[in-house]
Amino acid sequence: MENNMDKEKIEEYDDPRKVFSNALVELGRKNPNIIYISCDSSLGASGGEFHKIFPERHFEFGIAEQNAMGEAAGFATCGKIPFIAAYMPFVAFRCFEQLRDDICKTKLNVNIMGNNCGFSVSSLGPTHTVLEDMGVIRSLPNITIFSPCDGPEYYQAVFAAAEIEGPVFIRIHRNKVKRIHSSDFKFVCGKGEILKPGNDVTAVTCSSMVNPTLEAANILENKGVSIEVLNISTIKPIDKELVLSSSSKTKKVVSVEEHSVVNGLGTAVADVLIKENPVKMKMIGINDEFSVVGEYKDIVDYYGLTPIKIANSIENFLKV
Amino acid sequence: MSYISSNEDLRSITKIKKLTKDEIESLISKSYNCRVNILKMMRNAEGHIGGAFSSLDIITVLYNKILRHDPKNPRWPDRDRFILSAGHKCLALYTVLADQGYFNEEILWTYGQFKTRVAMHPEEKLLPGIEFPTGSLGHGLPVGHAIALAAKLDKKNYRVFVMLGDGECQEGSIWEAAMSAGHYKTDNLVVIIDKNGLQVNGLTRDIMNISPIEDKFNAFGWEVKKIDGHDFNQIYEVLSVVPFVKGKPSCIVANTTKCKGLTFAEGQFQYHHWHCEQDKIDDSIEVVNNVCRKELEKIGK
Repeated sequence: MENNMDKEKIEEYDDPRKVFSNALVELGRKNPNIIYISCDSSLGASGGEFHKIFPERHFEFGIAEQNAMGEAAGFATCGKIPFIAAYMPFVAFRCFEQLRDDICKTKLNVNIMGNNCGFSVSSLGPTHTVLEDMGVIRSLPNITIFSPCDGPEYYQAVFAAAEIEGPVFIRIHRNKVKRIHSSDFKFVCGKGEILKPGNDVTAVTCSSMVNPTLEAANILENKGVSIEVLNISTIKPIDKELVLSSSSKTKKVVSVEEHSVVNGLGTAVADVLIKENPVKMKMIGINDEFSVVGEYKDIVDYYGLTPIKIANSIENFLKV
Repeated sequence: MSYISSNEDLRSITKIKKLTKDEIESLISKSYNCRVNILKMMRNAEGHIGGAFSSLDIITVLYNKILRHDPKNPRWPDRDRFILSAGHKCLALYTVLADQGYFNEEILWTYGQFKTRVAMHPEEKLLPGIEFPTGSLGHGLPVGHAIALAAKLDKKNYRVFVMLGDGECQEGSIWEAAMSAGHYKTDNLVVIIDKNGLQVNGLTRDIMNISPIEDKFNAFGWEVKKIDGHDFNQIYEVLSVVPFVKGKPSCIVANTTKCKGLTFAEGQFQYHHWHCEQDKIDDSIEVVNNVCRKELEKIGK
């Protein structure tokens, strides 16, 4: 898997949608079976470049996601490898039964890009702010879920998805993300990583919460609390071994996610722990409610997802 | 849009091969033998007999006379595809596939058993010849349309035939896909609507009227023809001339009778899913065989 991030101007921050667009074009060059499906979403979902280069392999199906998801399944039965991209609620929920019956049950190689996860577009309100996708999608057999945290992960996740025999759901955030991985980083499906070693508590996180959690860890480090930060970029199948080895060391686990705590990353981690290493755990996320409306910086503060508030939550948890 | 009310009307529009008397007799025998086999399967369990019997004549003609397919090589890449979007009619498909040699007829008699391969809705992983799994209504047309588009992308000349139920046309996804096929001018896609006028709870026109279905498909960019779905010549002739118009998807509205061939059940919604009493099976087989004899006699005259 080649990482063409080096060809780009190295910047500290990457736009996930631009990274996806570049990766799809590169993948399309290498594999003629790659097709791109959009639902009046090709510009927003950054498939515009693919369309310019491979117009015959781009299928626009309009604002009709049930059909688009079924079409993706049909293409996959003919050996095509569709990437379908649309706003999160419309690809995760509107066509859920098509995803379940036509793609997951059949285990077809269809790759779904859930754009604008979490509070990406929180000013658009709760219809567009999806905090439940991981729970809903994770319940489906045969599917793989990626939730990358930075440019190199996003880029390589696209290539990994095409290789996996079966559906892959990739959560894509709208905000530019600080690059934490170097260009020689290798993304492996199902493998998490220790971003910062520590001994007192394990903080499991993903996607947009990786950087704030690292910052929270630094805040607490200065207070003498040692936090091990895990980046879980594959939500399903989750890296059980890493969760177990880290939690065996620290004996305490915190999950941090821009998602509901009902059936999110924390639940996926708890599923592992409750069976094999039941330790004390706290889930930091959104507590079973629909989002309020607001700008990103205000809303993450409101829900306690800023570095300082995450640090406070972890500190309080450790006091109990 | 052209409406076919008789063979003459259709022949005046296009140059069409006609079935010989022997061919029609063979098709009738096959179709009614499939009905008998379905009744035998129902010795094990209840089933969706109504739609199976209404669609059987069409599916019989498709597999015997229209589809380019190879039962010994079910995944032949250039095959024509048949997708039974109204998956609950699969008893018809199973019996036709068995007759075609896709699998041993013995498999039919496992119907209703634990882990049977002939489930009440078709699963592609369980049996050769099942193109795509269906069961939840409204899924087959989007899938079928993409397979037709993939043929164009791959410069292949196979066709895709999708059978819908008329009640199924109440699903919104059907219209999303219909709009899409009209938009892409997908002329290697053929929809056949098994219009038996009934659904689970009663008459389609009472529950949610789909009429005028021909005008609706026409308005979505399809070329539409209407036939008697139990007239073998009409079925054959209309399926022989697809696409009706180059650059447009084709829609066949087949007027059918629910539970066709089981006279006491014909046209009654209660037989959509028949909870059959076992002591009625032998009599039912006799009824179907009598209808078959009468149909053959009509051809003989």
